[in-house]
Amino acid sequence: MLASRRTKGGIFAAATIAVAALVASALPAQAETGVTSSTIKLGITVPLTGAAAPGYNKIPGAMKAYFDYVNANGGVYGRKIQLVVKDDGYSPATTLSVTNDLILKDKVFALVGTLGTANNEATTRLVNSHSVPRLFVNTGFSGFADMKKYPTTFPLFPSYATEAKVMGKYLADNFAGKKVALIYQDDDFGLDAIKGFTTAGTNFVAKIPYSAFSQVDPTTAPKWVTALVAAQADTVIMFGVTSATAALAGAIYKAGLLGKIQMILGSVGSDGTTLKGLLGPLAPALAGTISASFLPSASDATDEYITLFKSINAQYNAGQVFDNNILTGMNTAMMTVQALRAAGTTPTRAKLIKAIETKGSTWASASLSPILFSATSHVGYTGYWFGKLGADGNAVSADGPGKYTLYSTDSGSGPVVKAAAARPAMPAKGLPTN
Amino acid sequence: MKHKSPLQRFALSIVVGAVLLLASGHIDELRAYQGAQIAIFAIAIASIVLLTGYSGQISLGHGALMAIGGYASVIAQIHWHLPYPLAFIVGTAIGALAGFLLGIAAARLRGPYLAGTTLALAVGLPSLANQFHILGGEQGLTFDVGTAPPWIGKEFSQYRWFFWVCVTAALAIFWLLRNLLSTRYGRRWRAVRSNPTAAALSGIDVGRAKVLAFTLSSAVAGLAGSLFAMLLGLVAPLAFTLTLSFTLVTGAVLAGVSNLGGSIVGAVVLVAIPELSGSIAAHLGGSEKVTSNLPGVITGVLLILTVLFAPNGPKLPHRKR
Repeated sequence: MLASRRTKGGIFAAATIAVAALVASALPAQAETGVTSSTIKLGITVPLTGAAAPGYNKIPGAMKAYFDYVNANGGVYGRKIQLVVKDDGYSPATTLSVTNDLILKDKVFALVGTLGTANNEATTRLVNSHSVPRLFVNTGFSGFADMKKYPTTFPLFPSYATEAKVMGKYLADNFAGKKVALIYQDDDFGLDAIKGFTTAGTNFVAKIPYSAFSQVDPTTAPKWVTALVAAQADTVIMFGVTSATAALAGAIYKAGLLGKIQMILGSVGSDGTTLKGLLGPLAPALAGTISASFLPSASDATDEYITLFKSINAQYNAGQVFDNNILTGMNTAMMTVQALRAAGTTPTRAKLIKAIETKGSTWASASLSPILFSATSHVGYTGYWFGKLGADGNAVSADGPGKYTLYSTDSGSGPVVKAAAARPAMPAKGLPTN
Repeated sequence: MKHKSPLQRFALSIVVGAVLLLASGHIDELRAYQGAQIAIFAIAIASIVLLTGYSGQISLGHGALMAIGGYASVIAQIHWHLPYPLAFIVGTAIGALAGFLLGIAAARLRGPYLAGTTLALAVGLPSLANQFHILGGEQGLTFDVGTAPPWIGKEFSQYRWFFWVCVTAALAIFWLLRNLLSTRYGRRWRAVRSNPTAAALSGIDVGRAKVLAFTLSSAVAGLAGSLFAMLLGLVAPLAFTLTLSFTLVTGAVLAGVSNLGGSIVGAVVLVAIPELSGSIAAHLGGSEKVTSNLPGVITGVLLILTVLFAPNGPKLPHRKR
């Protein structure tokens, strides 16, 4: 009984310490949440662990690297940018719990680049009730453009509906008469794409839904291939995360169908370096794969943004191979710096939101597509180009280095416009002066 | 508590409740959120204490029973348009039903076999959500209980309201369980746990006592799941992982397994662990990888230490009558 009493005493002591720590860690209040005279604190939630992590786990490091580069060059009006990174393992419940920490404990000024459709949906109530700006979310769910439901949220990427519409046009232009099948993640991410394909009038010989995470089951992808063969598909569109794309490519390759079934990848699951890593010895499975992108090819040596981001990556993010994820992270970070600058020398959350609405469409960005932010639209990019994955895994434009044919449209019923891509020049040394 | 009558316990609950609810006006939102979390964990751990500590049955699947309660509440709200207090009752009732069915199987199983069965439930059940569209798949279903009612005041934050709801529910459950355990049902369960053969010889229907314990425990877990869904604002398979089930068992072990009041201590420790590990990781200057893995390590170590230093497992509370 002595042992039992001692254990109980220990537990009570531990509990007392725990309660004391809970009380002691409360932070003092400050003028604008997350902003001091020398710092601006931002937060991000992203899967660093778990099935959805490969590739995306490089985004926060890339953002930090660009922020460090800006900080080393004077910061934003003298303030250094700090990025608090939280791992949510792609679980909406965890996202909410760590976002509580970001908003209520770390007291970040804004969220930036938070990843995942369901994950961002889960935190909307909290984000809205505290009017926390949620910038450039890493998801293309078109619903986030609804300004009534998500007044502080700014999606930067073109919506999945836009992507599907664009892809529908690309298929009509280049794959007329082919038997096209669609594999999609069975949630708002995939359903948004279905909406776009319906608008585009694309006909599929098979539509194969899969639930998020089921791709980790080794029997899932072979079932997709069986369904593709049964439908006699010669072309397959993949709207899923990178790990699902890798599973599909591997299964097609193992079934000896490489070259017989053409893969066309949505931008979400198309990062070639990550795919190659996941596929390992099966990497030849990617040969000939086409993917949609809204940023230039990560291997385009003629692109000034790519050149600059590569050198920042080498200096501030040592050991990480430059790929689409790093490009995406740095591009988001560059947009963020311009948003923070536009919010002025005494930034507030309201000023930040206003600044993006009024000036966001003029900012420099690596994207080949124009930016549509305005007082009546929270939609960022609107267009994609298509290219085949090259030897290093990155997509390459068929028009040659530095030249891209852009397909752009809206999330609704507007037409798809095909034009040569053009964008404003990068600010000197990639340091925004807006 | 031992010598108090139900009425005295009721008065005590009211006093504790009033103090906590008044205190909620003086804590920030994060603490209110954590307070609500503690109340929910305390209810869930109490359901395991009732099952393991009193009737001697092991469950590694209480996360799944919470999921059943949570999903039932959300579906009651979305499809049957019930107000959320009624949705909580539906969650509790469906939890009880699931527990009754599981209890019938459980009464025939013992030790590792029962642990294995409930573990399979924890692993398998949440992924059912992907098989039926009504359950919302991987991204789950949203559960919006709205803001605090207007009569309570305008400046009442969402989390403070959740804190009120959860604390009230927790006090009600503790009052009910404490009273129940000092009736003949409580005594029968303890008899069944200590020596099933002797209990049967004394005229106790062992199977029935076990099924009843499982049903009640699941009802309480179902309520915890409903409240958890309210706090998260959604139900999703990933909200009710195997980790949740194990965390609850850890909480129960820390609580002393057969000590109802200990559930609160267990719940406080569970909520404090991520908080503490965050501070530790910050002091170590650790990366995000350290921060995201440290809570698991601390929980594991605590569990091992508790089992090492209290190796005899569940003990009867030796109190003087």
